[in-house]
Amino acid sequence: MTTSKERKVRPYINPYVGGVLLGIVLLAANFVSGRGLGASGAIKSTVVTAMTAVSPSIKESSGFVKEFGEAHGGSPMKTWLVFEMMGVLVGGFLSGAIAGRLKLKVEHSPKITSRRRLIFALAGGILFGFGSQLGRGCTSGSALSGMAVLSLGGFVTMMAIFGTAFALAYFFRKNWI
Amino acid sequence: MGPLAVNEIISENTNLFLAFIIGIGFGFVLEQSGFSSSRKLAGVFYGYDAVVLKVFFTAAITAMLGLLFFSLFGWIDLNLVYVNPTYLTSAIVGGIIMGAGFIMGGYCPGTSFCGASIGKLDALVFIGGLFLGVFIFGAGYDLWDGMYMAKFLGAPKISETLGLTDGIFAFLLIIIALAMFWVAEWAEKNYPREEY
Amino acid sequence: MKPRTLLALFIIPMGLIIAAVPQNKTKPYKLSAEQMLAEVNTRTQYITPDAVADMIVKKDPSLRLIDVRSQDEYEKFTLPGAINIPVTDLLSDQYADVLNQDVKMNIFFSNGSLVANEAWMITRQLGYINNYVLEGGLNFWFDSFMNIQKPASTSPDEEFAKYDFRKSAGSALGGGSVVTMSQDQSGQSAKPAIKSTGKKKKAAGGC
Repeated sequence: MTTSKERKVRPYINPYVGGVLLGIVLLAANFVSGRGLGASGAIKSTVVTAMTAVSPSIKESSGFVKEFGEAHGGSPMKTWLVFEMMGVLVGGFLSGAIAGRLKLKVEHSPKITSRRRLIFALAGGILFGFGSQLGRGCTSGSALSGMAVLSLGGFVTMMAIFGTAFALAYFFRKNWI
Repeated sequence: MGPLAVNEIISENTNLFLAFIIGIGFGFVLEQSGFSSSRKLAGVFYGYDAVVLKVFFTAAITAMLGLLFFSLFGWIDLNLVYVNPTYLTSAIVGGIIMGAGFIMGGYCPGTSFCGASIGKLDALVFIGGLFLGVFIFGAGYDLWDGMYMAKFLGAPKISETLGLTDGIFAFLLIIIALAMFWVAEWAEKNYPREEY
Repeated sequence: MKPRTLLALFIIPMGLIIAAVPQNKTKPYKLSAEQMLAEVNTRTQYITPDAVADMIVKKDPSLRLIDVRSQDEYEKFTLPGAINIPVTDLLSDQYADVLNQDVKMNIFFSNGSLVANEAWMITRQLGYINNYVLEGGLNFWFDSFMNIQKPASTSPDEEFAKYDFRKSAGSALGGGSVVTMSQDQSGQSAKPAIKSTGKKKKAAGGC
């Protein structure tokens, strides 16, 4: 009889295998829809929907909402990215369930507190959310999918993201190691 | 002949449904590779866990090769595939801000959804931060829309800018990526590892 | 064998192949021969000069006239507002957005219908829509509008209606009498630049 503490956790798969599988998913996305993967666009959709719901006149007054409306006709939530991100939630959950990794927790280095981790997570999220709008994509949409189609903009964004993270790593080392 | 949705071989609704299925694949692979863990994601910047580098570049070159071979066989029309546009100023500034967000938060939007789906509360907080960040951008849009639209170069490919063919550039990238993998493995050997 | 080595062993030859093989730049045919034959037999690509004149007079914004003759002939005389895409350059990339779209009506014309039909057949087989051929070309156009014959008094009413229409259209189209293909067309408006408006639906992406 096993107690709950002895739940078997499957190891992560080999990263190269994971990379090939991810590449196949990206290839499928391009083949089916003519576009790559992405994530931050779904957040943008949700924010635009919320902003319009709270104040319908914002469609005229906000350049942000107008620019979004020009690029996408129809309902802002009925976009490729929103459906894809819902799939990500399901896929991640399935994988976690199979591997025994489903667990509510705050993941942090043993050298810091949960609270500190959460504060940095929030700050990081705000910065990333802002930056992803400026950069017209996040690591999935701009860097990964951009690289696969050889986009210059995607490559530049990727170098900027990883370069900055490397440069700033020293200052945040206490959070991780 | 791909892309299926653009050539209207499948309908828009089928396209959205397939987006959902592709998302499931995306989330599944990400989580299986360990991208639901912020500590693993940040590891590449300290050398103890280069999973981000390996998965990212392997995926990029697999998809790149796949697209080029599909085009060679006539299975896809690359002119119809979306190439990310280049707005030089905002690409760099946005990337810098994202880099800071990455090292602080330990996630990016895609991986944070993945982490949230298995119950990581820090991922959930990160997603909350994402909404705030996007909202701040939208609310103050007029302040930075000059920078946002600056230096529009169209949608050039890296190979065009360097004056190489797509195939030659892909080959160069493969060599560079493999070199990085060897360096990463060496770096990982010098740090103790534990699975998170 | 380590996965890394296996990956490298597989991917390097693939990279070499893709670097060595020239890119596939062919434009695929979207319509089969049978489909083309069916369309050619129904002659749906033709549009009458009356219909085109009507659109010009009404300043219909979806009209786009395309002169498929050579540049010399285009500069000597062309229809008002027409752009020039010589049929020899039909497949060049710069005109792709003009020919392959679903917003404007492109009407090919030449001296007769032959060259315009050539242009139509090629673009139709590539799957482009909204391309038409001016029936009879410029020759029939002149007969209809520039060299108008008053119908015999025994003709039915609609002949007279057509005559009236063509007479008034003729003045709007630049000439109510015989126009010779000479050099004195200096009153023509500036040739419009070929802009790529009305793009075909492409995948949206980003983020």
